[in-house]
Amino acid sequence: MSDPLHELVSERAGQLEPPRQRFVLEDDTGFDEVPKKYRKFYRKWAGPDDRLAPNEVLCPVCKVVIRSTRELRPGDRVYCMPCMSRLIVVQGANGTLEARVAY
Amino acid sequence: MTSDPREIHDLPEEEFLAEVHSFEFWFQAIEGYLGGTTWGHRADPGTVLLSDPERDRLVSVLCNYMVGELAALDGASGLVALAPSHRAKVFLATQVADEARHVEVFRHRLQELGVADAEAEIARRASPSVQEFRRRLRGFVEGKDWPAALFAQNVVLECLEFAVFQDHAREADPVTADILRRVIKDERRHVGFGENELGRQLAADRPLRRRLARLRRELDVLVLDTLAGTARIVGLDTTGSERIGRAYVEAVERLGLLR
Repeated sequence: MSDPLHELVSERAGQLEPPRQRFVLEDDTGFDEVPKKYRKFYRKWAGPDDRLAPNEVLCPVCKVVIRSTRELRPGDRVYCMPCMSRLIVVQGANGTLEARVAY
Repeated sequence: MTSDPREIHDLPEEEFLAEVHSFEFWFQAIEGYLGGTTWGHRADPGTVLLSDPERDRLVSVLCNYMVGELAALDGASGLVALAPSHRAKVFLATQVADEARHVEVFRHRLQELGVADAEAEIARRASPSVQEFRRRLRGFVEGKDWPAALFAQNVVLECLEFAVFQDHAREADPVTADILRRVIKDERRHVGFGENELGRQLAADRPLRRRLARLRRELDVLVLDTLAGTARIVGLDTTGSERIGRAYVEAVERLGLLR
């Protein structure tokens, strides 16, 4: 997992929403199913014990971990390129972030 | 498209869809995991000597996989002409190439295992339910029934293959496992294409949802039978069978086809 820069940037100036953490994604996650330039946005999922970082969410369609350069929050849109899905981040029942397919 | 995207998730949706459905995307994607391989696996994945019963079991498994892959090859090639958009047409053309590759590498693996006449062996060993599934899929394509064919092929069949191959790759001999892992990478695209393409149509068409839910119930008999047969040959326990079935159930649930 990448090191967060903790570059505190408020994305919506003037709003009370706390600023998001920013992340630098390492180029090689070992994921080779998309063109090289996109590989840092994805990594293999290691199963139910795999703890996701604040900038990661699991694709429910193909079970690949999707990564972002910023902390994810409910309502965010992310793309799963390996299975071509558009997803919306939601708060799961146990408080963790999940992704729902947006057809 | 920029050469070094800073945040892929900020792309406009149309740009994302155009990119992932392009031949260029497919070509660069498969290069990552097929470059340097021969007959679908890397040069030296390791060797394990199979006993006669193990070899025989693997031949039966591969014969059943071949029927699924041949069904998908015939299906995807027929669907190119029925595809409702340029994007879907191009994607299906890439799927045809993927399926042809799968048929080729499984067939080659059968030859390595001493099968001289693959067609005869497939006819003898493939389960009646998977053969019936192939006939049903061909019927949908010949009847130009795009949603039914897409559902049967890219949701039902691809979901099962995706899950079965993952389970099998965990316990297979090194060569077969390496082949399966690279096939799974292709299947991820096929599964996603089917669910997303159908999902977009179903969202705007309630009668279609009811029709596909009925079709799903019909096909479930074949799906369960095929699953039970595959589990028996691969040697999966109940947990393994449930895990494989779950991927399919989750997909049809997301599409609203469980009712």
